[in-house]
Amino acid sequence: MDLTTNHFLFVSAALFVIGMMGVLTRRNILIVFMCVEMMVAAVGISLVAFSHETATINGQVFFLFALAVAAAESAVGLAIVVALSRQGRAPDVEEMQTLRN
Amino acid sequence: MSWELVFFAVFSAAMLLTGIGVVALENPVHSAISLVGCFINVAALFVMLGAEFLGVLQIIIYTGAVLVLVLFTIMLVDPNKLPAFYVGKPMQRNVSAIVGAILMVELGVAIVTRVALEQIGPHTNAMVDQMGGNVQAIGQVMLSEYALAFEVASLVLTVGVVGAVVVGLPNRLGALDTVTMSLGHSRGAEDAIAAGPKFESPMNIPAERYVAPVGERKVVMTKDPDKYTHPGETSK
Repeated sequence: MDLTTNHFLFVSAALFVIGMMGVLTRRNILIVFMCVEMMVAAVGISLVAFSHETATINGQVFFLFALAVAAAESAVGLAIVVALSRQGRAPDVEEMQTLRN
Repeated sequence: MSWELVFFAVFSAAMLLTGIGVVALENPVHSAISLVGCFINVAALFVMLGAEFLGVLQIIIYTGAVLVLVLFTIMLVDPNKLPAFYVGKPMQRNVSAIVGAILMVELGVAIVTRVALEQIGPHTNAMVDQMGGNVQAIGQVMLSEYALAFEVASLVLTVGVVGAVVVGLPNRLGALDTVTMSLGHSRGAEDAIAAGPKFESPMNIPAERYVAPVGERKVVMTKDPDKYTHPGETSK
């Protein structure tokens, strides 16, 4: 049995599903944020695996851009958490209902 | 069975276990440390796929920068206000298990039944070695074919930084011009005397609070800074 692209794709899918279940179940906004980062990394494994399979390097470049966007997203997301805690509100996704209705 | 497969099994098992740890651990700090382990194993898988540059970037950016930011934010949040750990409502838990199982089956079927792609590109391992390595190959493609996207990425990062600063600012900019000092603590009075104009007797202030202009700022002297509310602030 040899190592094929499908092995990497399976592991990537499993990590994505774990991250998705974390986003759906946890209430702490920081944990949800970490799970989203985990899903980004899982998709990155898929991109790099396909890039390896087709012998192109475009997939790696795509993930480089995804990394830049994820870094910007994490800066803004954590600033929102800090702003919430400055207002004395809990970092709880079920408490954040300001935009509801 | 090749050594490659053994290493792949070790890295992916560690990655999935630490990934489950992120979701299942109760303490957010433990989750963050578990995420560090997960990302290090993701970087190992990148290196196995011949993407050394991305592996290094994954460790530097994620485990070096983003996770430190996450840990700082966890420290800034009041631990008493963290939501209770019961992993969602029962309904939420069941739905997530069902949706996760369905998605996993779908992805598995898609992966098993897919047609393997051909090696259409020029960047085979030998070619990448000839170009001087993975970094050179990525740089050549990124700065020629994707030059515009590269510039836009720098714009996205700038907007992200500016947005983070704007969101993180206090609600009222005036709050930056007001300093609250406690007279219950002797150092507060000493600092006020050193910084401000000469008071006749700072410890014998009759009023509940005493506002003195010090240059551009207002120094508020109060016996109980927790009870003092700034003008324009609703409650504390």
